Order: sequence, then C-alpha cells, then structure tokens
Amino acid sequence: MSQPQPLLQLPQTAERAPSAGELRFWLDKAVCWGQADGPDARKDASLHLSRLKDFLQQVLTHINNMSSTAETVKRLPLLGQFLGRLCWNPYVTADATGRRLLLQCLWGLYSEHPGNAVERTANQWIRKVLCQLATEEDDAQALMKKMDIPPKDYHLEVLRKMVALLQKSIGKSCSCLGDTNQRCACDNILATSEACVPLVTCPEAAPLISALLQQQVTCVRAALSEDFLDAVSSAYSSRCLSLEEQAVVSLWCHNLPSLEEAVLRLLDCALTYSGPIPQKQLEQSLLPKACAQHCSIFLVVNDIFRSILKQADGTECVKYFVGAFTGCFLREVALQQHQTSVSLKAMFPQSPQSLLLPLLTRPTEMPQQAWRRHLIWLSSSLQRLTEEEEDGDDNSSRSGRFHTVFEAWFLLVQCSHWVQVAVQLLVTSEPEDCAPLLWLLTFYHHPTNRGHHRALQLVRGKEAWDHLHSLFSVLDPPLPIDLLQSLVTLLSPQPQPPPLSPLLTLNLFVNFAVFLQQSLSASTEIVQMVLDRCGLVDGARWVLSSLQIRMNQGDCLSSDTERVHLRIRALQNTLTHMHVASSPAKE
Amino acid sequence: MEAVLKNVAGTAELLAVASLSGEVERWEEPTVSRAFQWARYCEHLCRRFHDNPAIRRVIEKQLRVTNHGLRAAFAGYGDVSFSDLYRCQHLLLVGLLKNPQLPISVMKILFDAEQSEYQEVTGYCSRIIQCKSACKVLSPLADSSAVGADAEVQAEMLMERLGALLSRGGEARHILDSVPQGFEGAAGHFCVVIAAALLMKKNSSQDFLLDWLQKEQSVLEQMCSSLPSALIIELTKKQPKFRDAFCDLLKKWASDMEYSLSEGEWIQTRRNPTVSFDRLTEHFLGLFETCPSVRVDVEEELNALKMSDGDFDVRGLSVWGDLLSAFNKSV
Repeated sequence: MSQPQPLLQLPQTAERAPSAGELRFWLDKAVCWGQADGPDARKDASLHLSRLKDFLQQVLTHINNMSSTAETVKRLPLLGQFLGRLCWNPYVTADATGRRLLLQCLWGLYSEHPGNAVERTANQWIRKVLCQLATEEDDAQALMKKMDIPPKDYHLEVLRKMVALLQKSIGKSCSCLGDTNQRCACDNILATSEACVPLVTCPEAAPLISALLQQQVTCVRAALSEDFLDAVSSAYSSRCLSLEEQAVVSLWCHNLPSLEEAVLRLLDCALTYSGPIPQKQLEQSLLPKACAQHCSIFLVVNDIFRSILKQADGTECVKYFVGAFTGCFLREVALQQHQTSVSLKAMFPQSPQSLLLPLLTRPTEMPQQAWRRHLIWLSSSLQRLTEEEEDGDDNSSRSGRFHTVFEAWFLLVQCSHWVQVAVQLLVTSEPEDCAPLLWLLTFYHHPTNRGHHRALQLVRGKEAWDHLHSLFSVLDPPLPIDLLQSLVTLLSPQPQPPPLSPLLTLNLFVNFAVFLQQSLSASTEIVQMVLDRCGLVDGARWVLSSLQIRMNQGDCLSSDTERVHLRIRALQNTLTHMHVASSPAKE
Repeated sequence: MEAVLKNVAGTAELLAVASLSGEVERWEEPTVSRAFQWARYCEHLCRRFHDNPAIRRVIEKQLRVTNHGLRAAFAGYGDVSFSDLYRCQHLLLVGLLKNPQLPISVMKILFDAEQSEYQEVTGYCSRIIQCKSACKVLSPLADSSAVGADAEVQAEMLMERLGALLSRGGEARHILDSVPQGFEGAAGHFCVVIAAALLMKKNSSQDFLLDWLQKEQSVLEQMCSSLPSALIIELTKKQPKFRDAFCDLLKKWASDMEYSLSEGEWIQTRRNPTVSFDRLTEHFLGLFETCPSVRVDVEEELNALKMSDGDFDVRGLSVWGDLLSAFNKSV
C-alpha cells in the first residue's frame, strides 16, 4: 500500500492550461486514493478536495478551449485515465461542485460528430462510465433484487440509516476524562466532520451536520475540522443547506467568518429594503436570538456595527438598523427567561456604566410624565461627557475620552427609542424647554464636534423648531411664505455640508405633522407644500413608517393612539399620491 | 383490469423501445419524463397487487404474451417478469443508458447537476450518484457495529419482508432460497446480512430465519467459516438456537476430520472451505467462554465419544480425545 504523497505547492491561476506535470501529480494522487482505504488515505483525499476542484476547473476550461477531443487527448494523454479514476472517488462524486465539474469535463470530451477512432472510443467510454456510475450493482444489491426493492430506494435507505447511526454515536457523551491515552468517543468527531465536507449539499446528511455543530464541546478531542465549518458556512449562506436554528447558532459560535457574513447580509438586506426593516425580518435572521443566547456573539456583532458606523459616518439607515436590532435583541433576552442571567455590564462592557440602565430602560417602562425629566438628565450627562472630551489638554488621555464619547453615542444609537421620544416631546414643548432635547437630537445626528460647529448647529436647530412651531400654529390660510421658505432651505441639500443635518429637521417636521393637535387637513397642506419644494418625500415616508413601527410596539406613547395611527396613515396616503405625481418630473 | 393489463403491456414495450430501438434518438425531456412516469406507475401496481396472487397471475399471463411479441420484434430482447416490474425505473434507466442511440442531450439532462426536487427526470442519475457516494464516504465511520451499516439496513429490510409475508401466511422460503449461492461475494455478504438480522432487536421473523438456517446447513457452514469469531460469539450470546446449531456444527466438523500422519495434524478432507483443527478448538473455547454451561455438556459428550473410540490418550487416534486435551491445555 503506497503512502499518500505530501502536499505539493501549486500556483493558483484557473486561466492557465494544466501542465502534464500537474496532471501526473493529481493522477498519482487519484491512484493512491483508489488503492488505499485507510484513514490516512481518506484524510488525504479530504484535505486535497478543494485544490482538486480548482484543478478540475482548470482542466474544464482547457477542454472547452480546445477545438477537438483528439487534440485535447494529444496534449494531455493521461486525461482520460485521470477522469476515469476520479469517477470512482466518492469524495469527488459526493461533493456537488466536484461532481458537476467532473461531469462537465466528460461532456466536454464527448464529440457530437466523432471524426476519428480516438473520438469514437472516447464517446463509447464516456457512455459506459456514466452508465456504470448510475446503475452498477454490487453484492448487496443482488440481495435487494430478490426482495423486490428498487436500487434508488435502497441507497437512500442505507444513507439515512448511516446518518442516524452516526448521529447517535455523536450524541454519546465523552468518557475519557482528559486522559489522553484512553480512547474517547470524541475521536470520531473530527473524522466525521471531515467526511461531511463533500456532503454539505446532500439533504440527507443535514441532520448529521446539525448534530455535529450542536454537540457539546466537553472534550479537547471533540474538534470540528475547519474545512467542514467553511463548507457548511458557504453552503448555508448560498441556501444549499438547511439547518435547524440551534445548529446555525452553533455554527456562528464555531466560525467567526460565518457570523460576520450573516451580519453583513442582514445589514445589506436592511439597506436595500424600501423602508425601515420590519421586525419580522430581524427575527428571521436568527441573529438577535443568537446574541441573546451567547453574549460573545452579541459583542462581535456590536464590533461590526461600530466599525460600520465609524466608516460610513453613520448614515440614517444604519443608525436606525442598529437601534432596531438592539431592540429586537433586548426582547429576545427578556424571552430567554434567564437560565444564565448575563449582567448588563457583560453585554455592554464598553459603554459608560452610568448611562446603561437609564438608556436601556424603555419609555414604556416609566410613566409618561417622567420622560421629560429623564431626557433632561440624559442630555446633561451626555453633554458633560462631551465637554470633558473637549476640555482635555493632555493628548494621551484625549483619545481615551473620545473613546468614551463614541461609546456613549453608540449606546444612544442602540437605544434610539429615547431620541424619538425627544423628537416627539419637542413637538409639545414650550420654547424655553427645548434646549436639552434639541441638544440630544443634535448629538445623535452629529456626535463629533468637528470644526466646532455644534454651537451653530444648536442655533439652527432652535431656528427650525421656531419655524415649525409657528408654521403649524397658523390657524388661517394662507401660510406665510417666508416661513415656508426658511424651512425648505433647512431641509434642502446644500452644496457645502450644512451645519445641521436635514434629516434632523425632517424628523422634527414629520413629528410635528403627526403629533400636533392641529386639524389633519391643515397639517397635510403644510406637508405637501414643504415637500413639494424640497423633494424629501421618500425620507418623510421613512419617518412615518418608523413611527408606525414604534406605535405598534407600544413604544411611542400617546393618549390617543388611534388618532395618531389615523394621522400617520392619512399622511402616508398623501405622500404616496405626491410621489406618484411628482416622480416623472423629479427623475 | 383491462386498463391495468394494457398499461403493463405498454410499459414492457416501453422498456424494450428504450433499450433496444433507435426510436430514442428522437426522445426529449418531456418524453423521458413520461417514460419514467409510466415506470413509476408500474412499480406502484406491483406493490398494490403484491398480496393478490390471482391478479398477479393475470398480469404474469399478460406479460408472457407481451414478451412473446416483443421477442419477435426486437433482437436481443430479455423477458420481463412481474418481479422485474418492482424495479421498473431502474430497468428503464439501464436500458436507456446502455442504448447507444440515446441522444447525448438526454443523458446530460439525466446527469444534470442542477437538480430540482420538482422535476423527476433532471438530475435523476446525479442524485443516485450523490447518494451512493455519500454512503461510501460515511461507511468507514459507521462501522461501529461489526456488521456495517449497509448490512444492517439490508437485514432490517429482509426481516420486514419476511415478517410481512409470514403474517399473511404466505411462503417466505423463496426469498432466502433464491439468493445465489454460487457467487463467492454474494454468498459471503448474505452471511453478514443474516448475522445482522439475528443481532437485531428481537422480532418474530428471526425464528423463521433460524429454522431455515438449521435446514440449510450449507449456509450455516458458510457463516461459521467466513464470519469473524467476534461476530459468531455475539450471535451465540444473543440467539440460543443459533448457539445449539453452531455447537452441533462444530461436532460435525470434528467428526469429518482425519488424522494426517504426514502433517501431524487433524485435517478435513471432504469439505470446502476447510476448517483447521486449531480453529475448531478456538471456536469451542470461544463458545465455552460465553456459555460456561455448554462446556460441561460438550465435555461429557466428547468423553463418551472418546471412550467409544477406545479411550486412548495418544494423540492422533481420536479427534475427541485430542479436542479434550486441547481444551484442558488452555485452562
């Protein structure tokens, strides 16, 4: 029995034609795997599988580039032998990609109109091999024939039985108690996971894969192969493999790239969604639940959020997403009933501890009259933090303080329900009560005081509030044009970065329209006129949808829930008609 | 019933056309799909009329007529029987793949990697290959039992089949009898399957199987000479009837031995495959270890036989005496 050869370093381009030397190397490997049947040969085949598939892709490209089979065979005389041997290698044929590439190579060698003996022989051989692959029977099947059982059913039954047997053996608890000399039931796990690499797209193997992912890691030897985790991850994300919920969560625990991919995929989904992402979609992604079950997953997810927010400078969609996700997560935590109660500190280790409980408490968990006071406290705490950062002389501690400000802001983004409450309260505030709420809002949209614009931003914010307050207080038409115009200016995109984010103003604007005790028709008229001029119809729609979601969750308290719902719906209707009317002109 | 017979005849013709005629050159995906639908229908018919000997006879009669006609129409035609129809789809597939006139485009559809569950024909073969290969990949790992997973599955299916037949009061022998005994591989595998069947959870068919084994001494002998000792020991532990049969067999083997002066050893002359004296001793000792009560009985019996041989203590005169001394040596 020949020993498997060591791994050869081969260049990776798929464009290059395969050389005779490379073909020889792989042919020798294939011969070796066919002859030996011990665990070493199997491990070798498993380890080489992905490189072999790359090589097969090269071969396929080469075959398709050649003008005839005769020419291909002349260039690479060993090709037939190589492909023939691979046909009988179960690792290649069980794997979906391997099987596909192998078959495509065979089709590539088939000549529609064979012009010489070589091509005719090739055609016959190809037909024969394929027939054998699909219909060959062994001793076992002779017996099945006597029992009138069709081969296809029989193979399926054997496979299911094997999967069940292996599942049972994985479930067995570890017995070795750390003694490395003793045999352990867990020894099998690594080998089984390696064997499952080509089976990730085989639906019958899914229960076994789930079991492997979920087995308790009590023993040092109960490791899963990295190739296995990668293969499962890519099969799951391309929807070729369906896993139970807990298996997916286990996959994320084992394999960081798969977790990252899942988070980015969800984020992508949120950004391409035409409105604020529905809670159902967040739940279906299983990520909030996974975060609730494993604190470590939540920490990783938050790190991903942090880096995205730092890069993109926090677009509104991303900020909203982070808030919605965290809300969903907190609901899952509450549902968990706490077999393992994780402290808030463990879940949010980097956030300023004094702000944790105040921010995480939902508005519904405290009486409505207490909101304003609560927000004033939050606003002043955050203000203090930012002032400390700005006042720092010492350079080394400056970055530390900046970090604190960022973390405080990040926590605010995660708990954006309070920002929305602030906006809502601004609608019914007196002019002298606005300052802390406006500060909070400004901070949310502009966390860094770059260029020391904050003072100016606060002024602009107050101006916007004043305009809105006046505009919506008008009892008789016509509406004052200058007020309208100033508002529109604040809302419109400016050539230079404006001191105040138009989205802040827009949010305020829509909230005024919804919550102010003014007649619906008057509000509608104002909305129409303003949006007509500044064009932020989609943005307004977004704000209305997010308000609706909050109403449905009970977060957005109003003594008049039904009335608010009606107003939102009416405004949405108006916007829909506006959008339809204006889109040809706008685009 | 008319319709059923017509359809059965039609399917037999279909199989003939698929494997032997150039008609397939014009077949495309919808045609192939329909062909497989017919084959499935036939399989379904078989299972339905499985227990109805009267209808089965009528169908067989129809098949005889159809076969006759098809033999005349197609050179190289092989008759189709009722039991062939159980695996009609497989026959269709084999016929198609072996037919050199089958267009390569049809083959490509059958082997297509893009399988979808809703299309029966696309990727039909690809799925089969996936399944078979997956079994081969997993089987070295699933060998926790001594018999292997595929033997276990077959044993289960066998017991199920036997059980179904027996509960209907039908004839079950034919299944066991008809396994080809001439082929080395198949017979050896069959032994493993029987062992697996006897090691299964207790069920009613096992008694039937054991009775059959006792009558079919050749199979029993094959089992005891080809299976690993550990497996045989397992069997003796689990099935008392098997233990007794095994014990009797060992004694029979012993009685067939003759002492060869040239080799200085007891050998079997008339059997094939042969069992050596040492192996025989091992078997006995293994048996004693698991069932100590048997030892007493066997030694008593052997002693009586030794005495009837003259009760000599010289090696080479009585196989029984030599066996007894071999037992005592190992104590």
